[in-house]
Amino acid sequence: MKKYICPICGYVYDEAKEGVKFVDLKDDWKCPLCGAPKNLFEAEAQVVEEIEELEETDELREMSYGEISALCSSLARGCDKQYLFEEAKLFTKLSDYYNKKSKTKTINNLDELLSKINEDLEKNYKQARLVATKKEDRGALRVITWGEKVSMILKSLINQYEQDKNFINKTKVYVCDICGFIYIGDNKPEICPVCKVPSFKLLEVGKEG
Amino acid sequence: MSSLRAVRNLRICSKDCLCLYVCPTGATDTETGQIDFEKCIGCGACSKACPSGAISMVPYQYPKQQVKDKLVVEKLNEIIRSKVEQEKMAQYVYDNSDDVVLKQFSKALIRANRLIVEDLYREAGYMLPQSQNTRDFLNKLLDENIENDIKDDIKKLLDMLELNE
Repeated sequence: MKKYICPICGYVYDEAKEGVKFVDLKDDWKCPLCGAPKNLFEAEAQVVEEIEELEETDELREMSYGEISALCSSLARGCDKQYLFEEAKLFTKLSDYYNKKSKTKTINNLDELLSKINEDLEKNYKQARLVATKKEDRGALRVITWGEKVSMILKSLINQYEQDKNFINKTKVYVCDICGFIYIGDNKPEICPVCKVPSFKLLEVGKEG
Repeated sequence: MSSLRAVRNLRICSKDCLCLYVCPTGATDTETGQIDFEKCIGCGACSKACPSGAISMVPYQYPKQQVKDKLVVEKLNEIIRSKVEQEKMAQYVYDNSDDVVLKQFSKALIRANRLIVEDLYREAGYMLPQSQNTRDFLNKLLDENIENDIKDDIKKLLDMLELNE
């Protein structure tokens, strides 16, 4: 008897409990929680091996300037939430400083960005979910779920843009200031579909000039 | 001194101004709308009276942040590195395009990636600016070769942020 895990939502199909072998389920069977197709499910045995292969390292890896900048802007938000405005300002200044120091990454087309997003969806988020599930870290599972959903949206928007470069021309672009969800359309939704924050936190990104 | 202080969320404040009537020390009558922290004694009267729920009582000292499992942190860091790279790709597109719409789109992508990374850092052991992790991070920045005014800002932050663990 094996267990099969949904890579989208973490739902566990336990053959012992269900009384039906996973392979015997119909091909159009879907995850009862999130609707993911059967062929995405992974057997748990693989999962455990994968986790055990991961090495634990004690050393703090060197952070890039881009990472330092993002950590500083995150801490600026943390100070802002606590009404520590002076501290928030200093962290924002540091974030800008390291952002300027960091180099942009040259790409020839948006496909290169797409393949990085695919790598996240196919590998990085999956591995992180397995580890966070095993270690019962609910907060990490939350950030993984939001990030995965936003990544899927970014992927589909880039695909749309590549097919029809005009699809943004006559409409508006919004970014959720909490989770990074991008909405392209005339009227933003009442709540963010990913993190459920009310619409006033969906901020418009206008056209320049 | 009380362990709490009142703070006002200006986005919610409906200017009913009951806080003015109930505050025993006159800490709520500032022109900016924020509470005067010097005068606030943390009694909570304004927070209880506020009809729009715009005033909350927050502690001066926050509890120690949750300890994160090393392996979880490592996995989240892998996503962080990837998303930072994506932000830098979008930044490249933004810097090298004259097309108004592509600029707008890439700007949204830059922002989205940055927000994802900020959120990841909060779950990867940097929730509280007052944590030991944050201190270690800031101290490590000081070791690097950076401009003096930036060094001063980092030292200022180390002074201002009270360690809570």
